[in-house]
Amino acid sequence: MRAQLVASLLRARPAPVVRRAAFAPAFVRYNSTHHEETFESFTERYVTFFQQAQDLFEVQRGLNNCFAHDLVPAPSVVEAALRATRRVNDYATAVRIFEGIKEKVENNQQYQAYLDELKPVREELGINIREELYQS
Amino acid sequence: MQALRLARPRATLRPYARSITATASGHASAASPASSSSSGVIPLSNVEAQWEQLSADEQLTVHQQLEEIQKKDWNTLSLDEKKAAYYVAFGPHGPRRPANPPGTTLKIALGTAAGIAAAGVLFLAIRSTAPPPPKTISKEWEEAANQRALDQKMNPISGISSEGYSGKGFVTHK
Repeated sequence: MRAQLVASLLRARPAPVVRRAAFAPAFVRYNSTHHEETFESFTERYVTFFQQAQDLFEVQRGLNNCFAHDLVPAPSVVEAALRATRRVNDYATAVRIFEGIKEKVENNQQYQAYLDELKPVREELGINIREELYQS
Repeated sequence: MQALRLARPRATLRPYARSITATASGHASAASPASSSSSGVIPLSNVEAQWEQLSADEQLTVHQQLEEIQKKDWNTLSLDEKKAAYYVAFGPHGPRRPANPPGTTLKIALGTAAGIAAAGVLFLAIRSTAPPPPKTISKEWEEAANQRALDQKMNPISGISSEGYSGKGFVTHK
C-alpha cells in the first residue's frame, strides 16, 4: 500500500519538463522553479490517475486536487473519475462530481454541455445528478 | 486525519474511513462493525428525516447497508436508496450543515427593522415628555437682542454695528 501511495503521490506532481518538450506549446514562460503544464497533459495525468485509483480515499483526493485548479476538468477526466467511483462502489461521490462541475463552469450552458457530453456514461452507470434526485 | 487513516490496516480502513469522512463526530469512539451490526435494519427511505436523531451505532449500520447497496448495479437502485446514499455522504449535516439555514436573511432584516423601530419609538417617547424650550429661543427674543446690540454699538468694526452689515445678528429662526 505504501509503495502504491508513494507512486500515486509522485504521479500527482506536475509532470516533469522532459515529457512536455514533445508538446512544444506556442508560448512558454520560462521560470526558474515552476513550469506551466498544458491542459492536455493535465487531462492525461488525471485520466491515468483515476484509471489507477483503487480506493475511495484516492478517488476523492484526486477529485479535490483536480477541481482545485483554475480550469474545468475535461469530459474525459470526468468520465474516468465516474468510472473510478463505480470501481470503488461509491454512488454519492459520482453525484458529487457533477456538483463540482456545476461549481466550476461559468454558466448554465456550459454545465448543460457537460451533461450532454456525459449523458452516455450517466445512463450506462445509472448516475442521477443532484437536481434529478431532489426535483420533487 | 490522513496520518490516522493511513496508520490503520487496510482491512478495517474502509468502514472507519467512511464514517469519519461522512459524519460529523462520535464515530471515532464507535463500536466495532461486528458488534454494532446486531441492531435492527433502518429504513433507508426515511434516513434524511431521522439521520440527526440516530445514534452513532445506528448511523454505522446505515453506512454499512449503503455500502452493500452501492455495490449493486446503480441502474437498479431506487431513488430513495440513491438519495439516502447521497444524503449520508454529502447531505447538510455535521460539517456540511449550512451556516445560515433558509430564512436567516429574512430574520436578520426583520430584527434590524424592529430594532430601528424600537429606537424611533423610544426617541419620540422621550421627546414627548421633555420640558418646553427656553423662552430665549424665539424669534421675538432674538430680534430684541439684535436691537439691544445695536443700541450698545456692539462689535462696531466687523460685527452687527459695523457699516454695511448684512448678516442676521442674533436671529437664528427662519
